[in-house]
This record gives sequence, structure tokens and C-alpha cells, in this order.
Amino acid sequence: MSAPAPDVWLRPDARTLLVHCGWLLPPLGSTTLTALATGGRFPPSALFTLAAVAVSFAAITGIGHLRWSRTRYRVTSDAFELRGGVFSRTLRTMPLSRVRGVDLTATPLHRLLGLTVLRASGTGGAETVLNAVPRAEAARLRTLLLARATPGRAANPELSSVDWRWLRYAPLTFWVLGGVGVAAGTVYRVLDGVGIELWRVGFVQDAFTEFGRSALWLTVPAALVAVLALGSVGALVLYVENWWGYRAAWTDADTLTVRRGLLTTRSVALERSRLHGVLLREPLLLRAAGGASATAVAGGLGSSEEAHARGALVPPAPRHEALRVAVGTLTGSGARDEHPFDGVPLTPHPRVALRRRVVRGLLFAVLPGSVALLVLGALFTPVLLHLAWVYALVTTAVTVLLARDAYRSLGHALAGPHLLVRSGTFSRDTLALERRAISAWTLTTSPFTRRAGLVTLTAAVAAGEHGYHVRDMEPGAALALACAAHPGILEEFLEPA
Amino acid sequence: MSFAGPPRLRPPRHPVDPRARRWWTAQALLTVSGPMLLTAVTLLALCLLFFAGALPWLLPLLAVVLVAPACAYAVLMPRRRYAVHAWEVGTYSLYTAGGWLWQKRRVAPLSRVQTVDTLRGPLQRRYGLTTLTVTTASTAGNIRISGLSDADADTLAEHLGRAAQDTVGDAA
Repeated sequence: MSAPAPDVWLRPDARTLLVHCGWLLPPLGSTTLTALATGGRFPPSALFTLAAVAVSFAAITGIGHLRWSRTRYRVTSDAFELRGGVFSRTLRTMPLSRVRGVDLTATPLHRLLGLTVLRASGTGGAETVLNAVPRAEAARLRTLLLARATPGRAANPELSSVDWRWLRYAPLTFWVLGGVGVAAGTVYRVLDGVGIELWRVGFVQDAFTEFGRSALWLTVPAALVAVLALGSVGALVLYVENWWGYRAAWTDADTLTVRRGLLTTRSVALERSRLHGVLLREPLLLRAAGGASATAVAGGLGSSEEAHARGALVPPAPRHEALRVAVGTLTGSGARDEHPFDGVPLTPHPRVALRRRVVRGLLFAVLPGSVALLVLGALFTPVLLHLAWVYALVTTAVTVLLARDAYRSLGHALAGPHLLVRSGTFSRDTLALERRAISAWTLTTSPFTRRAGLVTLTAAVAAGEHGYHVRDMEPGAALALACAAHPGILEEFLEPA
Repeated sequence: MSFAGPPRLRPPRHPVDPRARRWWTAQALLTVSGPMLLTAVTLLALCLLFFAGALPWLLPLLAVVLVAPACAYAVLMPRRRYAVHAWEVGTYSLYTAGGWLWQKRRVAPLSRVQTVDTLRGPLQRRYGLTTLTVTTASTAGNIRISGLSDADADTLAEHLGRAAQDTVGDAA
């Protein structure tokens, strides 16, 4: 598409109308499934579904057409303007100086039609969505919208790209077990929706009776292994879908672009001025296998959950690789000086913090289960009483181990222009936060921390999750850290002890 | 600056308006303690009318589970809050303390202030009180001071608004 004259109002692509029909696929698919399953005879419920689908189709297509015909956009010399609205006319003006990032995404349907959704995010979480324009037009718009960033090539642009050997880290995530549950639930609901009752199907019933009659000590572990295998396959598929074609690179001196995705491609442009830190994440299993992933702490990526998904910098990968990307993100293009993610020794927190973690574990993990087993055992069978003390012993041991690990993780330090904070055991997160970006300090106490003589320090930044905690510090140390990390905020309210 | 011992963050200078105690008590009675007491009374009445035999164990149960916590909340919460809540505008920063069980002290530079809002709810208006909300670019830097007298809130809002204007451009 040749670049149109500026200040001319443009329309989204007409093919967008087809995208709006995409939601038809699941109901039509399930109806087809019903037709196949019942041999062409539709039960009344399916006819109802079909009628409802037809009515909604008419309504949605009508509204979609209206919306499309009323949507116009243009990029003037200083603003991105979007006109639209179905029942009322709206005009959205986003000053180019406020644009923080431009995100291009495409669902499989969009890709089939050669379209892309453009999402311009601005200060304060404002977002303007243009659905949908041809790919070339989207690229042109992105250049225009990010024109305020000073151009120029980075010295060493590419930070990282996908390496399929990393796939071995994919099964080390929650999705191995959770994913199977989600998938099973979805299948059940889909079948239920088309009128197939899973429990009445002879094959399923037989399987369950067989299972109950078989040697349980053999079949239960076998079933567990099967679930794990299934989950691992699911995690692999998810990894491939999320990280296909992954490439993180400085596309110009001030923009870090992360592209990824197989069916849904997403491309997130992070401006250096909005990039305030990096979070290195090492979940328990991944850490055991020497892996890690990293997320950017950047402004203008939406709410904190969205920011987390959109700020992903590197998939679960070898730790040194994740570290390299994290350092490259923090220091600009070439990792000139080794950023001391590991080099700086972190200051540990008071020993009381360990006691708090042990007590918390005992209170929330050991106690409820043991008491429940004891009560049930006293009421029904002494077998459960034995189970209760075994459970109490095992969980206490695990709790103490995890609490010690959590305490070892706790730490903070100042490393050049960054504040380093580490915490967590299920997911050990190391945060490197730009000290200059901290805009407020908060000291929080609860009845429990007051008793232990501790305080939690929170750094406020206009990026990522907005509040980043340094938990369980000595009050004096917390104040000293706050003053050293970003001087000039709370000094005037200090007094000698 | 050098201190002999480790530094200490002193509490903010200005307590909130004393009428805030009555406002918090009214709030407690309306939202938590009132409904709890009402439930206790209703249960007691039903018990007296229909199952008088249950009285010996229901009475202490209600006293422990509903009446005592409701009274404790209505009496303790406003006092603790009044002891904790305070504010101060320094040369460079705004400093507030709030909460009662979970206590929070927040310091935000005046140069980061983006907007200043005042809010007077129907209940607050009865006591002549105002809640002042100051937003910054970071949601974790937003400050809320509740229980200010109307006059204090207006002066403070004006002062903060001026401070924000003087340093405009730094707020993002």
C-alpha cells in the first residue's frame, strides 16, 4: 500500500467483516458433530442452538457492519485519531508523545485474511485498538506512531532468538498438571453442549468399572504417568504456539521488539524510556533444571496481568540465556559490562523472617490437613489416624525445607543504577528495578510483622505491577535502603533514633 | 545527614480531624457491627419464640461469635485509626500514615503528583469531613487521606495542586 497523504481519514480493511464471523466456527462445528453423532437427526436442543446462532449471526453481522462503516482512523503530525461508535459517535485522540508501545497481534483468522490488529498503548494504561488493517498498513502505522522515538540503529541489535533445545524446559511448568485438567473440562463441556453425556457412553463406563476392579497399586501410578505424559505434550504444544519464531532485538536505539507466536503472532515494542527493569523468574521445577525466564517491567502495557503476559522477554530457557536477555534489556544493546544479577551479594533479611515462613507453612499446610484427617479418623476409621501423623510428619519436613529455601531467597542489594530484590520459593523472582524510576516509598506493617519487628518496603513505579515489595526487613535497614536507592523522597521525615 | 543510631521515620505531624472518630464509628455501626448485632438480636428473638431450650448454649455462642467482635470492632477500630492516621506536607514530599491493623506509611514526592481529588460522601458531610485522593503515575504511589476537616482538605488540595503545577512535566 502506498503511503496515503497525511490527515486523510482511512477505513479498516473490509475483510475485518469476515473476522467478525469467526465466532460462528465453534457452534457450527459442534452442530456438525451432533449431526454426525446422531446420524443427521437433530435433537430439539440442537435446533434451538441453531436458531439462536442464526439470530445472533444476523445481529452481530449487522452491528459489525455498522461499526466497520463508522470507524475511521488517521495519524496526523502529532496525534493518532480513531473515530467510531455504533450508537453514539466517538472520537479518540491519542497524542503521539503519549504513545508508549505499539503491539501488533493476529489471530489465526486474521492471518488467513492477511490482517493485523494494532494496539497502541499510552500513558496511564490508555489503549487504542484498531481492528483490523492489512499487515503492510499496520507496519506503516507502527512506524508513524513510534516516530517520536529517535531513529538510529543499535550496535548489537539481536538479543536472542528461539532455540528448540529449550523445549526440554516446557514440561517444567504448572501446565503439565493444570493443563490436563483444563483440557478435560473443556472436552466435557463441549460434549455436554452437543448433548453427549459422557457417563452414559458404554465405553467410558466399562473403563471405569475395569479400573476399579484392577490392581490399584499398579493402575493408579500408571494413570498418573499417563496424565503427566499428556500434560507434557500439552505443555510442549503450548510452548511452540507461544514462542514460535521468537526473536528479541533492539529494532532501533530505543525500541526493544519481541516477536513470537505460531497461531497468534504478537509483536511488542518496548520503548527504552518506559523500560524500568526486568524480573528474572525461576519457578521451583525450572530452577531445579537450571532454567529461568524473564519479564520486562515496562510502562504502558495495560493492567498488571496484561503487562505480565505482554512483557515476556524470554521463554523458559537455560538460566544463562535468560540472564543474557535480562542484562541486554537493562543495559541496552550490547551487554558491555556484565550486569551483576549474580555478582552482587544480596543482603539477607533478619532471621525472624525464617520463623515467619515456617509458622506460615505450619499454619496453612500442615495444620488443616492433619486436623481434618484426625477428625475423620476419630469418626470413621483408625487408618486415617495413622495417615494423619504420617501426613503431619511429611508436610512438616517439606514445610521446613521450603521455608528455609524461601528465607535463603530473600535478599536485596543496590547494583549500579538498579535495585535488586529477590524473594520466593515456588517461584524465585529476582527483580532489577531502575532506581531513578521509583516514584514513592511505602512502609507496611501487619500485627504479625510488628510483633516480629519487621516491615515491608514497597517501591512504586509506573510500570509492570506498579508496586514492588521488599518483604520482611528491619525498619532501620528498610529506611537506609530507601534513602540509598532513591534519595530525596523520605529524608526530610527522618529523625535520629 | 548523619545519625548516631539507625534512622527512624517519625510519624506525620498532623493528626486527622477528631470528628473522624465519630465518622469511623458510624461507618462501623452501619457496615459491620450493626448488621452483626442485628443478626444476634434476630437469632435470639427467634430462639426465644420457638426453641427456648437452645438458649443455654446459643446465648454464649452468640456473645462470643457476634456480639463481642462487633463491639470490639466498633470501639477499637476508630480509636486505633485515629491514633495512626496522620499527614504532613514537607518541602519535597507528601507523607501520610493510615490503616489500623495493617498500617501503611507512604511518602510520595510532590513533583510526582498528577491529580488531586476531594470526596465528600453523605455520611462524611454530616461530620464535616473530606477524603483527599492524590494520584501519581504509579497506582502504588497513590495517596488517600480520609478524615480531613473540609477546611484542611481544601487548603491541602490547593497547595498540592500548585505544587504539581510548579513541577509539571516530571509527573510522567
